[in-house]
Amino acid sequence: MSSQPNVLEKVIAFVDERVGLKTLQAKMLNEPVPGGSRWAYIFGSVLLFVFIMQAVTGILLMFYYVPSADHAYASTQYIIHEVDYGWFLLSYHFWGSSAMVVMVFAHMSQVFLWGAYKSPREMIWLVGLALFGIVMGFGFTGYLLPWDQRAYWATTVGVEIMDKTPIVGDFMARFLKGGATPGQMTLSRFFVIHVMILPAALMGLAGLHIFLFRKAGPAGPFRGTPEELKAKTDYFFPRQIWKDMVAMGAVFATICSLAFIEPVVLLEEATPDPGEYHPEPEWYFLFLFQLLRLKIFSGEFGQFLGAIAIPGAFMALLAALPFIDRSPERNIFKRPVALIGWIVVMATILIFTVSAIINREFLD
Amino acid sequence: MHQPKLKSKVRCADREVGEITRVIVDPLSHEVSHIVVGGNGVGGAERQVPVSEVQSVADGLVQLRTASSALAQFPPLKREDYVTIHEVEIAHLEDHLHVESGEVLVPLPTLERNVPRRTFFMNLTHAIGTLVALPLAFPVLKYLMKPMYSPFDNAWLKVGNVNRIKTEDVGIQFKYKKKVKEAFMPETDVDKNVWLLKASPDVLEEVYKGKDMEFRDQAGRLVWTNKKDVPYVVFSGKCPHLGCGYKWRKVPKLGKEIFLCPCHLSIYEPSGKVLDGPAPRPLDTLPIRVDAGGNVEIIDMEFKAGTKAQTRIV
Repeated sequence: MSSQPNVLEKVIAFVDERVGLKTLQAKMLNEPVPGGSRWAYIFGSVLLFVFIMQAVTGILLMFYYVPSADHAYASTQYIIHEVDYGWFLLSYHFWGSSAMVVMVFAHMSQVFLWGAYKSPREMIWLVGLALFGIVMGFGFTGYLLPWDQRAYWATTVGVEIMDKTPIVGDFMARFLKGGATPGQMTLSRFFVIHVMILPAALMGLAGLHIFLFRKAGPAGPFRGTPEELKAKTDYFFPRQIWKDMVAMGAVFATICSLAFIEPVVLLEEATPDPGEYHPEPEWYFLFLFQLLRLKIFSGEFGQFLGAIAIPGAFMALLAALPFIDRSPERNIFKRPVALIGWIVVMATILIFTVSAIINREFLD
Repeated sequence: MHQPKLKSKVRCADREVGEITRVIVDPLSHEVSHIVVGGNGVGGAERQVPVSEVQSVADGLVQLRTASSALAQFPPLKREDYVTIHEVEIAHLEDHLHVESGEVLVPLPTLERNVPRRTFFMNLTHAIGTLVALPLAFPVLKYLMKPMYSPFDNAWLKVGNVNRIKTEDVGIQFKYKKKVKEAFMPETDVDKNVWLLKASPDVLEEVYKGKDMEFRDQAGRLVWTNKKDVPYVVFSGKCPHLGCGYKWRKVPKLGKEIFLCPCHLSIYEPSGKVLDGPAPRPLDTLPIRVDAGGNVEIIDMEFKAGTKAQTRIV
């Protein structure tokens, strides 16, 4: 009799009755996307994918990595040179972190340009900014772990920058370093932050981010009458998920290619003597690095201005954005200040990054 | 107008035709867009009637403008074109729906009927939470702060011999090893470096400005005095801008040799004075003593980078 459920169907029914899987799945997939699915909406899903891959490769790296000043470098070299495919997993993790930053920029730009941070989505934007901070924190703390010269000097300068925060700066810098200068205590602290604290914070806040997003619903395009939007509306599954999957595949292929073409190569082991090495941060911090070379950011106050006040004010402005910009207009072509602001910020970052790269020649 | 309720009787202009079997909601406006009418009067099939046809909604009765004979013009419901609100996620949809008539209630358990007691228990929960967290705050903070502040080490370290220096006012790097014992770690030799200069009288004057230089420990006791007439000057290898290691470089543009930090491009004269770039203060001079044989010893000190004032941290 064909109407009799088979064993598999019985198991599924058993689980479903207790978990409510079918309703849950329906709820997850049947989310109307006003105006229909778009390639512009892929970045959030891609970020989730890149993060999961960072978690997977990160856990695998911990099978061999030892977070101690006398073994961190050796164990990382062992992963690269001795462990089968260790070079690949490490290089994937390395390039994955860059992909994370690129995708964060793309995601934030999309939300900004589409005016999707506006009421009722202010909380999603705020939690998103916190997630942005966490991603930057991942990049900064992870950079120290291989314990080579690049790692040591990026951390030395980065923590000195934090030290410039008024009042709490000295305490914060010592707290992070676990002393006056980078050493074993710094490595232990950065390791705990990188593998425990930030992942927990990211998972919690990303959950909240998605929950709030589902609560408010997708913002949809910034143009079109309700009738037009309704006519084009589809569900999250299958068209948007299809686009997301294609994007994930493309990002995965890109990260793999980069890992193959430019695998991670360590410099000399970390030491307070830089030798011939010219310290430089990872590319996404280069603009800030170049900014601090400017004459206007010289001296004690100039440094506070360039390293703390301006980045801090910029983040505060982003946080205040949905509360300052209360006009319901979402069309970016009718928000000249926002459009020009975005272009100026992107151009500044680009110009400073490029000039930092050009400056390398001057040093050699 | 109230939302038409499920199970309400439906009356056409001329007669009663059946009841509301379902309602259809617009996913964007969250408003009821159609009622689905079923019953004998509609001839078996459920008909989908737009709410614009509803004249009035009374208790348990919905009045349509249409004549019963005209009901057939409305399309029959195609159930497969719809999903229930439980199978879809539309934000705040349920907040807008009032299609059930009356309230659906669940009895409050007898023990829960005393509202002030609930508030009391809530406060007690917070109090216990605070009692758990508060005594932990200080120990946890102290636990994490353990390595943050350590006493200064004022030992003299051999770094090399001045016979390496041939020319005046040229920065020569001296590398040395410092024994470091950090917490539980075995003692290790850490590579460090300082820059030594055999200073001409002009440069020496610029470094000392006519005064001997005193170095003190944490308690303010005098540790060492650099005499202004000793021609050897030693600079900490750490750039006072943001702590990188600087180099001695010939800069064709300036036509002379200077100290250059590759990080943020601070440039210092041989005397350590800032020539250009973002550094807030000159290079840090360290205590130096040179014996008769030319052997150089220094006290390894580090100062906080990025401040105008010199604050010792190591």
